[in-house]
Parts: sequence; structure tokens; C-alpha cells
Amino acid sequence: MNRRTFLKIAGLSSFSLASGCSDPQKNLFSLVEHPDDMVTGQASWYATTCRECPAGCGVLARNREGRVVKLEGNPKHPVNRGALCMRGQAALQGVYHPARLRAPMLREGTRWRETSFAEAEALVKERIGNAAAQGPRRIRMLTETVGGTLMSLFRSTLHGWRSEKPVVFEPFAYESLRAANEIVFGIDGLFSYRMEEADVLVSFGADFLETWLSPVEYARKFKEMHAFSEKGKGVFFSVGAYQSLTCANADLWIGCHPGGEAAVALGLVREALEAGRGGHLRDFIRSTILQTAREYTPAHVTRVAGVEPERYQSLVRRLLAADRPLVLGTGSGDCGENALQTNVAANLLNFILDPDLRRIDFDRRYRVETAGRRSDIIAFFQKAKEERDEVLLLYQVNPVYHMPAEGAVNRAFARKGPFKVSFSAFMDETAEKADLVFPVQLPLESWDDYAGASGFISLQQPAMGSLTDAPCLGDLFLRLGAGNSDQPPDYRSYLAERHMRRGTISSEKRWLLALRDGGVEAPVTSRERSQLVPYKVMDDFHTLAEPNDGALVFAAAPSIRFFDGRGANRPWLAEIPDPITKVAWQTPVLVHPDTLRQNGLAQGDIVKLQSRQASLEAMIYEADSVRPNLLLMSIGQGHTAMGRYAEGEGQNPLKLLPSGADPRHGGAFFSIDPVTIHSAGLRRELAHTDGSRIQHGRKIALTLSTEELDAGRPVEREGLTMWDFPLTLPLPEGYDSHRDFYPPHEHAGYRWSMTVDLDRCIGCGACAAACYAENNLGVVGEQEIINGREMSWLRVERYHDPSAMEKIIFLPMLCQHCDNAPCESVCPVYAPHHNKEGLNNQIYNRCIGTRFCAQNCPYKVRRFNWYTWQWPKPLNLQLNPDVTVRSKGVMEKCSFCIQRIKDAHNTAKNENRPIADGEVIPACVQTCPTGALVFGNLMDPNSRVRNLAEDRRAYQVMGYLNTKPAVIYLKKVVQAV
Amino acid sequence: MQDPASIDPEGGISRNRWAILLTVATVLLTAGFLFFFYAYPHLKMGPEQPIPFSHRLHAGHKNIQCQFCHPYVGRSKHPGLPAVEKCLYCHNYIIANHLWIKKEHEYFNTRTPTPWKKVYYLPEHVLFNHQRHILKDLACQECHGKVEAQDRLAGERFKMGFCIGCHRERGANIGCWLACHS
Repeated sequence: MNRRTFLKIAGLSSFSLASGCSDPQKNLFSLVEHPDDMVTGQASWYATTCRECPAGCGVLARNREGRVVKLEGNPKHPVNRGALCMRGQAALQGVYHPARLRAPMLREGTRWRETSFAEAEALVKERIGNAAAQGPRRIRMLTETVGGTLMSLFRSTLHGWRSEKPVVFEPFAYESLRAANEIVFGIDGLFSYRMEEADVLVSFGADFLETWLSPVEYARKFKEMHAFSEKGKGVFFSVGAYQSLTCANADLWIGCHPGGEAAVALGLVREALEAGRGGHLRDFIRSTILQTAREYTPAHVTRVAGVEPERYQSLVRRLLAADRPLVLGTGSGDCGENALQTNVAANLLNFILDPDLRRIDFDRRYRVETAGRRSDIIAFFQKAKEERDEVLLLYQVNPVYHMPAEGAVNRAFARKGPFKVSFSAFMDETAEKADLVFPVQLPLESWDDYAGASGFISLQQPAMGSLTDAPCLGDLFLRLGAGNSDQPPDYRSYLAERHMRRGTISSEKRWLLALRDGGVEAPVTSRERSQLVPYKVMDDFHTLAEPNDGALVFAAAPSIRFFDGRGANRPWLAEIPDPITKVAWQTPVLVHPDTLRQNGLAQGDIVKLQSRQASLEAMIYEADSVRPNLLLMSIGQGHTAMGRYAEGEGQNPLKLLPSGADPRHGGAFFSIDPVTIHSAGLRRELAHTDGSRIQHGRKIALTLSTEELDAGRPVEREGLTMWDFPLTLPLPEGYDSHRDFYPPHEHAGYRWSMTVDLDRCIGCGACAAACYAENNLGVVGEQEIINGREMSWLRVERYHDPSAMEKIIFLPMLCQHCDNAPCESVCPVYAPHHNKEGLNNQIYNRCIGTRFCAQNCPYKVRRFNWYTWQWPKPLNLQLNPDVTVRSKGVMEKCSFCIQRIKDAHNTAKNENRPIADGEVIPACVQTCPTGALVFGNLMDPNSRVRNLAEDRRAYQVMGYLNTKPAVIYLKKVVQAV
Repeated sequence: MQDPASIDPEGGISRNRWAILLTVATVLLTAGFLFFFYAYPHLKMGPEQPIPFSHRLHAGHKNIQCQFCHPYVGRSKHPGLPAVEKCLYCHNYIIANHLWIKKEHEYFNTRTPTPWKKVYYLPEHVLFNHQRHILKDLACQECHGKVEAQDRLAGERFKMGFCIGCHRERGANIGCWLACHS
């Protein structure tokens, strides 16, 4: 180095020293007035209701210093009992979304002008006043499913304007199921099912683990009947043209042609009647049903539906032998034109096999039944007239996205005449076509009530201060409708008064208790079921279409991640991969390998799909989980608006689907045929997170058959090979001088450990979402996932069985906190470090980023920060203040939620006692809908985790490496059916 | 190779005048920077606060308990700062018309949080739990110094050695995650 260079460097470094080491500007802001329920440094919890889908789970919102940082299920809530799905976890990202509108936007020609809330309110009032003065029915409203109180306010306000009650729009409105319920039971509604009591469950597409009616509730109930216990294990058959996540959890998938479900269901009806079941039915009913079902002999069913005869036979055998059978109909997005017949036949099956219908709770009805049929929605838009001075109010609905091909919708939005107001917090596709976008408070910020299922009214209270000046919609309606009648001053009083008036809440004290608990029980009104009218039932089968066995069918499936698309802008949901394909951010089209071969295509090719309606370009994902003549895409992405994280990500399969509604039940079409598939000549890399689809014979996700279980505990083997290596607990007694190089670790009172019951894991990914929320994990985006740089501390791995690719096993993989941790021994700076309670700590400030540890970790759970990940404001307000935000160049991984362990230590020390079993609940364990994860102290011989670790199903993933993992897995129990 | 005799020492200095000047300037700048950054006398007093609140007067002379203004110190990680209204509980009566108390009133009336300057500084990746330390009968002064003797708090940039030294001495938890980080 010459002198000149030295001086340059010396000069520069003194400047960088001067600029780099100054304190960041730090202020401590004191409050002006002190709220009673806030202690700095401690969380306040508010019970409220999740409104990410119509199920209405109860949540507890964790508020730290005035902002909500985490949502957890409310254990007292009858719907979800403490659990929450990934969409519920991600609700926070809606509140803190950077693209959330902070002020109303008024259209001026082709441009938007930001206006004030007062001005916007005055404008709405003026337009409504003018329209109402012109004549009746001039103010028309379309809303998402809302609670009883808000609906009554809507009705009375609209009534004051001489207009009709609002129409409820849900893209998944279960029209065919409701129609079938009316035909068979005489009630046009959606009942709940006592699935937990069943011993044999058959689903004709009902995706009850993902979106159907109330997924968290049914995930719990499903595992109550299906998880292995001493009492045995229920059997679940799934019939359909593709494997949804629900279907992947079935004991047997009975693949059929698209639309073939009805034939299978009718075949089962025939077999049941032929076997002499349904004796309680009157003879003429029996014979009428049999008349219709007679031709569905096993040979006929296997031919027209394309099912494998052995599988069909086993379904018939198990269903007829069942003590407590339950049959469910089609899914949220009905597949095919035979949906109504499938649902009717499913209802009939229940009626025949279960004379008292004990597993259907007719009194507990889902709120989503208030939604209008798709045909009603189309009629709503058809009424929009050019010449009329009318106002269209849209609340939390996005018909432009959901009904892209619908002429009535497009015409209504193209018309200048109606004044269209969208009460949306985001500039979505519908808001973009409105005249005024009026953002209102989101559910976590406002007062309301909502009963997802009758019997319990869940209350909603502001869990945080409002981030914007937007008003609560209830308050706005009270002000808009002022003068109609003498109404309470604000929506909170309106809500409380309504409940007091109706007697659901008797006093002010009860009101406070209900707010604390999350809701209040409400009496249900029982409705008498009508008698079955056989000719009415059987009429529907005249229109039964032949299942499609030739031409390519395209279907759009509801997505566990985005529901109908309303959650598409939550970055966690896009980042956490789809449970079946393990593809994040993108929307590939799933194609069967045979179809690919016939068309000369391969995974990753971009293809052009062409239907009568439109065409779409999508990437191919080779999938054994669809039938050869089905092309499948999931609904939710492909937004052309809605802002960051949604806009331009993925594809919208709804574009390809036909417009209109099925005349028999008024439902939408979620599939279309024929479609054509052509290569677009381009390829793209899939953003998938799985390294391989199969396990390559390694000891990763294991199963155990019921026969092996019946054979009793196997002989403990003591070898060093993959299958001989014994289960070795990460405790001093697991030390063996012949095997171990390092001395044993001594632990001080606690050795934290987790058990994962693979028999209970349904692969839903709620745990992964909870981890993102709790531990400030970075969102990396599509390109970095392709580069393999995702940051998930916990991922759910999906493995196919190479001998039968349709058999899928899920395995949540997280840091195993090994006793002999391979990461610890290779770090040059001792950044991974074994602490006295057995945790493998990653010391971020020691880490220099060599990545040796990640290289040496056999579980691939360590994540390197290739960049300093960004939380665009105000998403950063969601960050958990108890967890350090890592920056570029640092390795990180699961900490077993050390912040929660520390909190438990703190409480226990204050009370001068040891930590009790079950007191430490990491975020993933807390949210699991099926209770697959258990956490606790392995040194406590009575802890749940210790008992499970001694279960005969217990094993360690790749335990033969002698890592002595502290995450103990329980083998999935598989049964031959 | 140049003949050494031909080098004119005077000429050498004048030829290298700029380089020497730059060196001298760099040294002076660095020394000046280090002085102002670490040793400037004003720093000892701590930063100027939006309201010249005196800990010497309140905690020392008037002998008000620390916990009166920092109420959560025994039951939370953070000790808590007094809300503006809390100052006014007393100062509505005591020197209510003082210039600075009027400013406090202005904060209250305009609902502005007081932007106090932070003086005790811990890096972000350290999570200090006040409750644990207070319940171990540690006096506030053991870490914060003689607060009751200072008008304007000088504060402290805590370093890891300070924590570890004490934790070792008292046999307290020194697990990286279990004690301080997460």
C-alpha cells in the first residue's frame, strides 16, 4: 500500500467512524392520559372475532403498547376452541397493510382525488338523499356476510330510504348444498355436522379442513373421530376428481371423473337400500328412491364415474358396516354440474343410513346461509339502470374479481348512472371501478357481533386504537340514517342496547363479562323438518349429466391460503407454500403426468389455457393428485388491483369460468369444459420449497399400520443402522460411551422438548403462519424462494409415497434442538450454543455468517438472512417487541419461542414455584387446530411430552445420525380400507 | 536510483506540502472528533430534555419514590414513564404557573406525548426485565447511578460486560437466551 492510499483510507474511515457510531435518535414518548388496561412491557388481551371468512372463530388479540401484535384462538369459543387457521393468523397483516387506504378516494374523470372523511360522508349523504327523493328502491346494497346487529342496522337504514334490504354476496355460497337441504329436509339452510361422533366419514368433495363452512371447527372434529386412540380410529373416504388437502388426509381417495361424484353417491344409495337399510322409510319413498338408483350397479358406477372397482367395493363395505356413518356433499367450490345431485344423494344416504339423523345438528346453522345465491347477485347487478339516479353501496365485496366474465357486473360498473360507493379498506378491483372509495375500520378496530354458527353470538371489540381516521361502518350508517328514528349515538351503544332489548345480555355486568369471554350464548330457534317428498327429490336426477371422461375439464378450487381471494394481499399467506404443491407466490395449474406426456409438456412450462370465456397463461405443476382429464388451479391470486403483495402475483382461474348461474340451484360454476392446453413456448421456475417429493428411503416421515399396532410393542433394537438405531432421548441417560463423542449435557430442572403426532397433523400450515407472526420472520418474495432463501422457522413438509403417489404424509419440520447438535460443533465463533435447559440458542450477535451450521444441519432448518428483510410501514407495527429483528448476514432458526419460556420462568419465579406442565405454549402449538403438537419438559416424568415420547409410535427423524433430537415424532397410523 | 546527495530536503517538504497538510488535518480532525464524541464536557450532563425535569429535586430533595412515577418497575419488563396527566396531578397545585409547567399543560391540552430523550441506552437485541431485578432487591441506583443527585440525567450506554460482571458475581443466570437475548 502506498502512502496516498493509506491516507485516503484513514480519512474515509474517520468519517465513517464519525457517521456510523452516533446514537440513533431515540425518544421515549410518554402518554398523555393513562388507559387503565395498559402496562408498558406487558400484553393486554382482548377477546374479539376473526372475520377473515364467514366461520367467525373467536380470537384473543395480544395488544402490546397499544398495537395488536398477535392473534390467538380463544379457548372459550365454541367454534374454534383456541385454535386458528393461517388466514386468521394473517388477519393482522390486513390491519397493518402498507396499501391500506388512509383517506377516501373520489373519482374525478379517470383520476382519483384524495378527500376528507367529512367531505366523503357529506357526499354520500347528499347522493343518497337525492336518490331516495326520486323514488323507492333507489339505494341498493351488496355486503359480505355480516352479523345480526349490523344487518339489522343496514335493513332499518335502507328501509328509511324506502329501499330493500341488502343482498349478501359470498363467492362460496353453498347454493347446491342449500338446495339439496331444502329438497331433502325442507330447510333452505346450512346445518352443522357432529363429525366427531362418526366412525365412517365419506366426503364427496367437502373440503372441511380448508374452507368448507367452518374449517377450524371441522379440523378439530375430524381428528376427534380420525386420530388414533385406544378406542380405535375412524375411517375417512374422499370421493372426487382431485385431491384437496382434505382429501389428502383421507384413508382412501376414490378418484372419479369430474362430475362422477353423483354416480358414486347414487350407487351407494342403491347398495344401502339393496342391503335392506332404510327400513324406517315408508315403502313408497323407498321404492321411489330405489327406482332412480336402481341402474347404479357397481359395474355401472365404476364405468360412468371411472372409479376403481376395488376401491368402490371397499367404500360400500365400510359404509354399510358403519355404526355411525356420516356423508358430506360437495366442497365450497362445487365441482361440476352434478353438484346438486351429489348433495341430494349425500343427504339421502344420511337419511337412509342414520334414521334419526343424529349426526346432523339442524339447530346449529351457519351464518353464511344468509348469503344470496349467485343468481341473486347477478339479478342485483342487472337491476342497475343507466337512466336512474341510484346509489350502489358495496361493503367488503369484490364482485369484479370474483365474477370476471359476468356481463351484468361489468355493465353495471361501466355505467355512469349509479353512484357506486365501495366501503373497502383497499383499492381492489371493485373499488377501482367505484365512484367513491370510502375506507372503514377493519374488524379488529371496531365494535360488532357475529354468530358464525347459531347458538353463540361472538362479540367484536376494538383490540387496538384505529390506525386511520376511517369511521366504523356502523357509526357511519347511524349518522347517514339519522332522522329515520331515534337511534343511539354510536354503534357500540346500538349493539349493547340491541342485545339488552333482545335479552341475550341481561345487564351491564353481563355485557362486560360477555366482552371478556368473547361472546354470549344465544337461544336457537328450532325448525321442524318437513317430510321427505320423494318425487320432488327424484326429479332432480333427470338432469344428471354423464360424468366427463374424455375432454379436458378445468376446475378452480378454493384455497386454504387465500379463501376466495380476499386474503391475497397478506404477505404471509403468499409466502407460506400451498400444502399440496409446496409452491409459494405462484398459481400453477395442476396437470396429471399422463396428460403432460400426451401433450408433450413438462413441469415449469408456461401453457395457454383456453376456454369458451377467456384464456390464461399459467405454469405447469405435475401432479398425481388430479385425474388425467382435469386441470386444476386454486382461487385467490391473480389480482389486477388490491395493492402490494396481491397485484400481479399469480393467476386468477375464475377468468376462465363461465358466467351465469346454474338454473337448478342458482349456484356459480367453478369448472368448465372443454378447455384446451397449448404450450406458450416459455418456461419458468416454480417457487417451490420442497427439495423432493419423496423421502428416498430415509427415516423422515414414518407410518405404522394398524396391524403392526395390534401386534404390540416391537422389540427394542440396539444397532447403528438407520432402522436399528434406538430412540435416544436428549437427556443424560441417553449418553452412551460407545456411541457418543461429546460428554452428556447436564440440564438444570428443564429440558424442553416437543412431540409431533403425525397422525393428527393435517398439513394445514397454521403453525407456520403463527411462527411468522410470533417470531418476526422475514418475507422474501417469489424470486428469493426460487433462490432457496425462504425464512420459515417451521415448515410443513409433504412427502408422497413412491409406491402410491396419491398417499401423502405431512411432517412439520422445525429446529430439533438436538442434544448432539451438528450445528454447534462446526461454528467457528460458537454462535449456536447449547443452554442449560437443552435449547440450541443462536446468538445473533456472535454470528459472522459462515453458514457452516446450515450446511451441517441434517434437518435444514437453519435460515440465513441474505438481506435485511423489510417490513414496509406500517407492517412493522406488527413486529413482536419481545423478539429481536435480525439483519443481513445472520443465521437464525426456531427458538422454541424462548420469549414465552422466559415469560413462564418470570411468572413461576414471582410465585416461587417451578413451571407447570403445559404452561409454556409456543405459538405453533397454541394454534394447531388438531392438537398435533405438544410442548413441555422432558425431565418431568409426568409431563405430557414425556409420556408421548415413551409412546410406542415415537421416533426421531434421522435419529440414526445420533443427533438425539428433542422433537419426537409419533408415527402416522395408516389403515388398509 | 537517485543520488541521495541530489535530494534537497527543503524541496522535499515543499513538494509534499499538500500531503503533509492532509495528514495533519486528518490527525486533527480525528482527535477533534474523538474529543467531541467521548470527552466533551457537556456530555456528562446528558441531553437537554423537552422539559427541564430535575431528578435531583424530585427524587432527591422531595424524596419522591422512584415507583411513583415509574410504577411498573416491579411488575413488568419496562418501568413505565409517567403520563402527562400524572405530572399535573401535583403541578396543577404546585408552581402551576411556572413557565415549564405551562408547557406541560400545553402538552396535555394539545394531547401531545412528551418527547423525552432516552438516556439509558441498551442495544435492541437485549431484553432487560426490570421486574426480575427489582424483586431481587436491587436498588435502582445500582445500575442507574445516583439519579437523585443529578438534575439532568447523564444516562449510560450499558455494555455487556456491565451485566455479565454482576450476573457472575451474584451467581445469576448467564444463559444467553434465558437471561437477556431472544
